[in-house]
Amino acid sequence: MTGNAPGERSRARIPVGLLVLVLLPLILMPIAAVFVFAFKGGPAAFWKAFTTEDAQFALRFSLLIAFLTAAINAVLGTWASYVLSKYRFPGERPLAIAINLPVAIPTVVVGTSLLLLWGPIGLFGKLLEPLGLQPMFKPAGVLLAHLFVTFPYMLGAVKPLLDELEVTYEEAAYTLGAGKWQTFRYVILPALRGGLFSGTLLTFAHSLGEFGATVMVSGNLRLRTQTAPLYIFAQFEAGHVAEANAVAAVLAALSFAIFFFLLRYSTGPKR
Amino acid sequence: MTRDPGRLAGRLQGALALAGGAALLLYALWPWLPRAGHAARPRTVVFYGFSILGEAMNGAVLPEFARRWRARTGEHVEFITSFAGSGTITNQLTLGVPAQCALLSLELDAERLAKAGVLPPGSWRRLPHGGVVNRTPFVLVVRKGNPKRIHDFADLARPGVKVVHPDPLTSGGANWAILAEYGSAARRSPGPPDQKREAGFESLLGVWRHVAAQAASARAARTQFENGFGDVLVTYEQDVIGDAAKGTLPGEVVYPPSTVLSEHTLVVVDKNIAPSERPLIDALAAFLWSEPAQTLFVQRGFRSVDERLNGGNPHFGTIRDPFLVRDFGGWDRVKKEIVDGIWKDRVMREVGR
Repeated sequence: MTGNAPGERSRARIPVGLLVLVLLPLILMPIAAVFVFAFKGGPAAFWKAFTTEDAQFALRFSLLIAFLTAAINAVLGTWASYVLSKYRFPGERPLAIAINLPVAIPTVVVGTSLLLLWGPIGLFGKLLEPLGLQPMFKPAGVLLAHLFVTFPYMLGAVKPLLDELEVTYEEAAYTLGAGKWQTFRYVILPALRGGLFSGTLLTFAHSLGEFGATVMVSGNLRLRTQTAPLYIFAQFEAGHVAEANAVAAVLAALSFAIFFFLLRYSTGPKR
Repeated sequence: MTRDPGRLAGRLQGALALAGGAALLLYALWPWLPRAGHAARPRTVVFYGFSILGEAMNGAVLPEFARRWRARTGEHVEFITSFAGSGTITNQLTLGVPAQCALLSLELDAERLAKAGVLPPGSWRRLPHGGVVNRTPFVLVVRKGNPKRIHDFADLARPGVKVVHPDPLTSGGANWAILAEYGSAARRSPGPPDQKREAGFESLLGVWRHVAAQAASARAARTQFENGFGDVLVTYEQDVIGDAAKGTLPGEVVYPPSTVLSEHTLVVVDKNIAPSERPLIDALAAFLWSEPAQTLFVQRGFRSVDERLNGGNPHFGTIRDPFLVRDFGGWDRVKKEIVDGIWKDRVMREVGR
């Protein structure tokens, strides 16, 4: 499909071969191992492990959280990018750094700090407790953690596009009498499509696989707050390798599909 | 490739991705969609337990209770459970996890909960048997054929032996293991208390010099051992005799001549129990000490607090000199004098050198 000349193709053989050789033990074989172990007992055993109540709940719960996280952060992230890219204000830089931090902080630390803030003994938790609200160890707590951890993805995908967007387009729209919303809807948003798409998918994919913060804030309750990665970890710790890998294989296949479309779309228009 | 089919393919792919996403969302939402004939929400009990309890509770004891409760009241009870290292559970309870009951592997964890204000001090001692639901001795698991000829804790001190041990920071089992390693030597030493203490110290030092892997819970340690790490695993008898009897344990169980019987403490977390839930939780707590539940525990490899029932499992091994934590003055003293005073302050310092 890449339209390379035959000569170019044979010249690629050695570097590509070398790369594959290095990536084999680093990345490719570990991925393959998930599938090998998931299907070790045959398709029937895989299906049995995959369809247990706990596994099904964990997978569905993870997907729901991922959908919600992606939807909320798509809006929140785009808005944050817009504000940060359009306005100049004192403290802009520290703020930009701060909201990019969540991908760099160890997720376990994120979980702990959320617990200490929203938990029954925390600053917000103490205020919420008398109202009967308690987000930690509930799905809401998991969502909070995922929103935090995946926030920078949208920013990273959308803000560069906004920074590049010529102010003149926006000004032209205003001069032509377009309102703020119209300008955003018909001028800015179309330019951001690629970024929105890849940012949302990245957010979704990360949320699906989030572990460190989730394990702290969820309480790891089966059939209530246990996400797919937590289920995999719990099953593996209990020595149930087949059960763990059945769900792991499905997660891996899903991520594969997500990144397939991500790459396809982000490189597609250039072809 | 001409332009138009390419665009068509692109569109098709876009539609496919969209359809895939929609299907995924539908799949995720399915159980929560309002449907006719959907059963009313059952009553739920949140039950936390230490790591090795998982199968016995989820697979036997809790379903049996739910069956009996339903027969008696017509109500459907659903159990929401979580099993991890006893210390991990204790931390989660301190941070406010909504558990109504927890079965801890160590009374010390109950005391930590009392100190954190989660439980009234000593409340578990008012339960039957001082809160102790069941017991199990600490044993060694070695590779098939016992190639390193390990028969006692003292053998772990031999050069070249690699020990897989749970982590005392998060695992109650690891604390019991420390007491077993210390106590087996101290009890055998004929001398005065000082000499007994030194014998215990030497025994602990010998074991801990050879700890090659530490896991967060006893169950996780066992998984490490099964995945090929180490020559010997220190763990609960209950966790391994079931598989040993079935022949699925990748190793053999070795009974040290002298070892501790761990005692597992139930705590009822009053502040997480609504008045309407009180009868249900009280019935559950009482059920755990009833003969049917204790029999189920015995079948699943735990030793009952009711000695008469312990003949019910033919796989229980014999221990020449079993002992309990109260033989060493209870957990308060053991924690201060042995776990902190000897293991942490002396053994770990020596090992770290």
